[in-house]
Amino acid sequence: MIKRFAFAALLLVCTAAPLAAQDWIRTGTGLGVEKIRIAVPDFKAASADAQSPALVKTFNDVLWNDLEQAGIFEMVSKSFYPLGQFGGPADIRNDAWGNPPPSASMVAFGNLGVNAGYVVVQGWLFDVKNPQSPQVLAKQYREAASDENARAIAHRFANEIIFRLGGGIQGITETKIFFVRTTAGGKEVWEMDYDGANQHPVTKLGSISLSPRISPDGNRLAFSSYYQGGPNIHVWSMELNRLLNFPKFGGTNLSPAWSSDGTKLAFSSSRGGDPEIYTVDANGTNLKRVTAYRGPDVSPVWNPKTNAQIAFVSGRTGLPQIHTMESDGTNLQRLTNEGYAVSPSWSPNGQFLAFAWIRHYGPGAPGAQDIYIMDVASRQWVQLTHSGGRNDFPSWSPDGRHIVFQSNRSGSDQIWTMLADGSQQRQLTNSGVNTQPNWSAR
Amino acid sequence: MAADADIFESRDKLGQPLAVSLALHALLFAAAVVGPSILGKNTGEDWGGATSGGGAMSATLVSSIPLPSRPDATNVLANESKGLSESQPKPEVKEPDAIPIPDRDVKAKPTPKAATPTAQKPVPQREVAEVDNRVPFGQGGPVSGPYGSFHAGGAKGGFGFTGGGGDFGSRYAWYVDQVRRKVSENWLKYEVDPTVSAARRVYIYFEIDRSGSPRNIRVEQSSGVPSLDQSATRALQRIDTFGPLPNDYYGSNVSVEFWFDYRR
Repeated sequence: MIKRFAFAALLLVCTAAPLAAQDWIRTGTGLGVEKIRIAVPDFKAASADAQSPALVKTFNDVLWNDLEQAGIFEMVSKSFYPLGQFGGPADIRNDAWGNPPPSASMVAFGNLGVNAGYVVVQGWLFDVKNPQSPQVLAKQYREAASDENARAIAHRFANEIIFRLGGGIQGITETKIFFVRTTAGGKEVWEMDYDGANQHPVTKLGSISLSPRISPDGNRLAFSSYYQGGPNIHVWSMELNRLLNFPKFGGTNLSPAWSSDGTKLAFSSSRGGDPEIYTVDANGTNLKRVTAYRGPDVSPVWNPKTNAQIAFVSGRTGLPQIHTMESDGTNLQRLTNEGYAVSPSWSPNGQFLAFAWIRHYGPGAPGAQDIYIMDVASRQWVQLTHSGGRNDFPSWSPDGRHIVFQSNRSGSDQIWTMLADGSQQRQLTNSGVNTQPNWSAR
Repeated sequence: MAADADIFESRDKLGQPLAVSLALHALLFAAAVVGPSILGKNTGEDWGGATSGGGAMSATLVSSIPLPSRPDATNVLANESKGLSESQPKPEVKEPDAIPIPDRDVKAKPTPKAATPTAQKPVPQREVAEVDNRVPFGQGGPVSGPYGSFHAGGAKGGFGFTGGGGDFGSRYAWYVDQVRRKVSENWLKYEVDPTVSAARRVYIYFEIDRSGSPRNIRVEQSSGVPSLDQSATRALQRIDTFGPLPNDYYGSNVSVEFWFDYRR
């Protein structure tokens, strides 16, 4: 009898232990990882205001474009949607959206209304494959009623969706691209939204300004310019809308690059006779030379993940090739061995370098300049553009999924954007001559 | 001599020894028969009785067991197959009529998305069976089906997490998808030893904290190929965050068991 009780007690103790409620997920590779199918029906106009139709149209266009360009979604074509207007959660039936023909996994919907001069937007994101708890997001926005605010709200909502469904990486819908536009007086630095809207000038120096690079906090713009002699490195304050004091180092100073914490600038200077890479603190002090070899060294970029490596272009072996080195100049390594390689740009995760390469260079060679990506660790490269013409100056987006570059395939130099695997190449600028884009970090 | 010549004629006195013997026998009999009923049944089980619970099977009527019907249940004992030694005929490979023109020479691509479209090899059946409730061998256990289709009235396999625990996968299927997508993107298959062509699954265990970072990454069940185990661990270490855990989830972390199937 004692034995029986003892056994029973032991059994009870053993079964009590695993009852602690810990949440588990079990999943694995190969289970059909593909892009998320998202359906975005037009937002319903919630009020009968005169301004609403135009604002609703702007909002819908911008939201659709943002989600389509994000690179992580497969947009379900609007011709497959169920008929009707979908303004709130009561209008969505999970089976109508989750089954064929739409076969969507996610639906983003809502309504937009104008109320006493304010535009109010309510947006939801539903997971229609999960009927028990479909709601993923429910947001409400309220801004003064204007077209730019309708765009801004659409960008914000798209950002929320991309952040939720894209693995915690911030979307790029609110980032900017800085580029050089050729004007009558020379070249000036311009700015535009990441989708090409709202192009406007930043500098008005009346001279030639090249290779703009915005600082990681978005406050200062470094570029090289022939303004007041030079070319010298100048720093423009975005808040004060004027140039800041920055020393002139003598010689030809080109291609400034910010470190990802914004404390240092690297650039190329020929103050010693031969163009070498120098680093300097963000206020212009503490100049240090990093390279010391005969042959031009230009276009430095910092490794944004570690801030301890610099990739640059060097002509020490003859034609320009991409090299990397530590930020004190040690451990020099050459990454390309042939052709003519220029304009490196380091991806935000520190793994890849994008650059422009003419792989077959020289008399008799076809000589198209294309954008390539190289994995720094394994030295394997991929060609992203194939269209012929000259593609140059790639710049990564802060989410590591997009690259903006300049291309003359349309006849004149324009700014183009694409996904980092080379797909979805789109032209962003259409008028004038636009070159040397740089994607902001936020 | 007239000593005890009649020793052969003397008889033992049987009285006292007989009485003692009888008493002892009676005591023994009492102990054997009556004793257990006094001390209680501490040996053996009564089979088939209503109170049996010592681990033996209890038989009830088949019609009252609420099992789903198995339409294509095969009788493993009596069928035509020769079992493990059966050899399957080789599937015939059909030569295509049109041979596609080979693409331009493109080198191997380790782009961030390379692991997703090109690296999907034929894999074992997905754990969540949308059509029937059978659990494939070796894939049972604590289940959190991402789309909720595995849950039949709260019944789950394994240790029976119910209530607050164990339903993360059904409530936040999109988060599970995100985890799967991110890990698959960051798994660099070229890190595995090139001489390996196929390997067993490697199971990696980790926890996701509130900010979405993976923690406590360790190999739960090795595949037997050390480079594969390492590349799987490194895939997780490469990830900074999966995105913060959903706002309306109140746990402090989620445990994840992730498996990697490798085929060259």
